Amino acid sequence: MRLILVDSPEEVRGNFYPLALSRPLWELRCGFTSLAEKLIARVGASDVAYFVADYMADAYRAKARRPVNDSSVLGGDDLLIVDPRVKADSFDVAAKGPSEVGVDEQGSVLYARVAKDDLAKLHKTQDTRRKTQDTGRKTQDSRLKTQDSKSIAEFIGAAKAKLPNVRSAVPAWRYIWDLVLANAEQITADFAAAGRNGIEGMVEQPTAIRGNKKDIYIAPGVTVHPMVVIDAGGGPVYIDEDAEIHPFSRVEGPCYIGKKSVLLGAKCRKGNSIGPFCRIGGEVEESIMQGYSNKYHGGFLGHAYVGEWVNLGALTTNSDLKNDYSTVSVMLDGRRAIDTGSAKVGSLIGDHAKTSIGTLFNTGSYVGAMALIMATGKPLPKFIPSFAWFVEGIVTKGFGKGKLYETAKMVMSRRNCQWTDAEQSMWDAVFKMTAPERDEAIKKGRRAMLTR
Amino acid sequence: MATIEERVKAITARILKLDPDQIKAEHNFTVDLGAESVQSIELVAMFEEEFGIEMEEDAALSVESVGKAVEFIAQVCREQGVDVN
Repeated sequence: MRLILVDSPEEVRGNFYPLALSRPLWELRCGFTSLAEKLIARVGASDVAYFVADYMADAYRAKARRPVNDSSVLGGDDLLIVDPRVKADSFDVAAKGPSEVGVDEQGSVLYARVAKDDLAKLHKTQDTRRKTQDTGRKTQDSRLKTQDSKSIAEFIGAAKAKLPNVRSAVPAWRYIWDLVLANAEQITADFAAAGRNGIEGMVEQPTAIRGNKKDIYIAPGVTVHPMVVIDAGGGPVYIDEDAEIHPFSRVEGPCYIGKKSVLLGAKCRKGNSIGPFCRIGGEVEESIMQGYSNKYHGGFLGHAYVGEWVNLGALTTNSDLKNDYSTVSVMLDGRRAIDTGSAKVGSLIGDHAKTSIGTLFNTGSYVGAMALIMATGKPLPKFIPSFAWFVEGIVTKGFGKGKLYETAKMVMSRRNCQWTDAEQSMWDAVFKMTAPERDEAIKKGRRAMLTR
Repeated sequence: MATIEERVKAITARILKLDPDQIKAEHNFTVDLGAESVQSIELVAMFEEEFGIEMEEDAALSVESVGKAVEFIAQVCREQGVDVN
């Protein structure tokens, strides 16, 4: 059996922006691991392939180490095609069995199990459709040559049309903040699933450990300095390999600290998932850091999701609760506010965003990827587009994307990571995709500038 | 109608809070007029608004003096078919 994860169309992926601008949905993190890792473990697959949006295929291929947008994976074995929004813990579809397509109430395909014997009829349907569509264009065995995401969309369409459909009630992630709000619970579940506890790393004394020691795992290579409090009273604490916890840090469970991350006297409140290679100071609560990002200094981050290669300047703080305790709304496209239904939602911060010292984010803020923020002393607008240079209280074009790329290159090299041509092409595409909301914000900024 | 140079000087004076009569073509925005990087961004934005043009950020921000800015803007206006006479 081969598991195939197929990323959602843009209108769905938009619910997971700005984090999903630069990665497929299954690379998003909740609890200890990514959504992909959870689905793969749940299904028990060793053979896995991916279909992603074309603009990120080359960049993702370099990271994935598995087939990406390669339609040859649509043959030769039983297939289980899964929408990455499906919640792995509730996904109870047997990997093997007769062909069936699981659809939700709206008729969207959540999964398709395709028995090897049924593959031929689906490919036949695809070939017929393609011949109709591609009149005049010569294709040699187009069934197996196509290298873009179109092939999988056609394949799923054929599966839905030709195979038995069943109504599926398997729950799915709807918005990016769903992951943040579910994080604490997911950490607890992941801790139980990992089945590890005890201290394999170095814990220097005096260190205070509260709660049940069975709810703590300190992996090999970890160094916990003296004067650290690890409090598992409210949930488990998992500190992954080679992490380092500096003095005066307090780590409250449920919590996951990723490999090679460092806490610098941090008040790490409950419900945090800190990805690998992060530097964390100040106060962080119920937040997800994807990895490779810094919040080195003081300042509060709560109910936030922070992408990769983000740097939050000293005293950067987000609100995650409104003064009237009403539910928080978020603007994912800069125009339409979506009620999250939760009284606590912090900032959603895209990859490579940078903030100056003293930046204040309003409740439920959207900070686009590659955005560069200079503080104003006041809470900033709730929507800052990708690639925006937010200067003197308005969105500007700033020094352009070239300068942002130079910074990204430098930042990545400091962690021995490479800014590749494929990555730059992906970001160029993101720049184009996000131009409408950015241009609108720039125009608004110009009008404000003219009236000063 | 004001010339490109007069309009550039007027905007420069407004953003940098200077007397327009004290601004000379040979003045360097940073060294002589004290423009900081944030103000450079504002200057480019306001020049685009004033003349109704789009300037490529890297090229615009590499212009150092008032006189060079006038030449650069005149060239962009020509390229983009904007009549400034």
